[in-house]
Amino acid sequence: MKTKIFNFVMLVCLFTAGCGEQVTNIDVINDDGKAVMALDYRNFDEAASTLLESLFSSGRLKKQDGSRYVIATGRIKNDTMQRIDTDQLMVKIEREITNSGLGVFTAAVGPGSDKLLQDARELRDSDEFDQSTTAAKKTLIAPELTIAGKILQRNIRVDRSKQQVEYYFQLELSEVKTGLSFWQEEVIVGKRGPQRSVAW
Amino acid sequence: MKKSGILLITLMILACGCSKQGDSRIHMREGVGSDTLASNIVTRPVTHAFSALTGEGLIVKEAVTRRNAAGFLELFIVGYNESYNTRRFRYKVTWLDSDGLPIDTKTSTWKAFSATGKTTFSFKAVASRTEAVDFTMDTKKWE
Repeated sequence: MKTKIFNFVMLVCLFTAGCGEQVTNIDVINDDGKAVMALDYRNFDEAASTLLESLFSSGRLKKQDGSRYVIATGRIKNDTMQRIDTDQLMVKIEREITNSGLGVFTAAVGPGSDKLLQDARELRDSDEFDQSTTAAKKTLIAPELTIAGKILQRNIRVDRSKQQVEYYFQLELSEVKTGLSFWQEEVIVGKRGPQRSVAW
Repeated sequence: MKKSGILLITLMILACGCSKQGDSRIHMREGVGSDTLASNIVTRPVTHAFSALTGEGLIVKEAVTRRNAAGFLELFIVGYNESYNTRRFRYKVTWLDSDGLPIDTKTSTWKAFSATGKTTFSFKAVASRTEAVDFTMDTKKWE
């Protein structure tokens, strides 16, 4: 009798092992998931979209001669309590500016510059490489504009049980030649939730 | 008793159209502007309940497009929130090219908007490609 009960319990355990809460893929096109206190991809998408709309409606990227601006991405400071790769924001911004035909980004300078670009150019002194395929000196194009910014966070205690977290996405476009700021925008993402929710 | 109730409701409905109209561009919220016969401490709960019961919500009055100086298509949506409550929602604009095909752009994402009760609202969307000639817009509830 005891063996039968033991076998039955084991069988039930085996069957129920696969019945835990299932992992599901997020529908990133129509995500109806609840908001979270930390920054999620929806916040980055919305912030990038709002910043881009502001930039494109400002007309500041339109060059008088119809050509494209050469832009360098400067430092995007993460001043939040979260570990954020600021490329989550900047890849969207760079992609849309490039695709708009108004600007082109240089990978030669800036904090995120491509080291391989410099290494590849040094091949011009190597006997191992066909010199006609190496990049000549004075062919890199200097940036005319720089884009830099900051993502910052403020935590505010509402009451004993509630907290408010404010995130600020700030971007600025400046002209290298004059140092003048061409365009600047800020997007605020605010969240209010239980004190026990961790925003980092 | 019944008659007086009907009379009160009739008066309230008639009074809805008799409130003093100021400059239509300026919206004075309840509790800020003067009370009227249609909106006061007595009638307010009834009118609010009636509005909720009839399911008043947002209506889009106008969708205007224009091309800005940089050549990008801009969309201006003008609407009215018929309900007494603030309506929060999300909208997503998809830009279409001359063939009517959607343009893949990062600006086509769900964006939040909030419309105050009984007021006109407007928002703007900008295409990030000059190929955009038309648009479609979808809305959903704020999560």
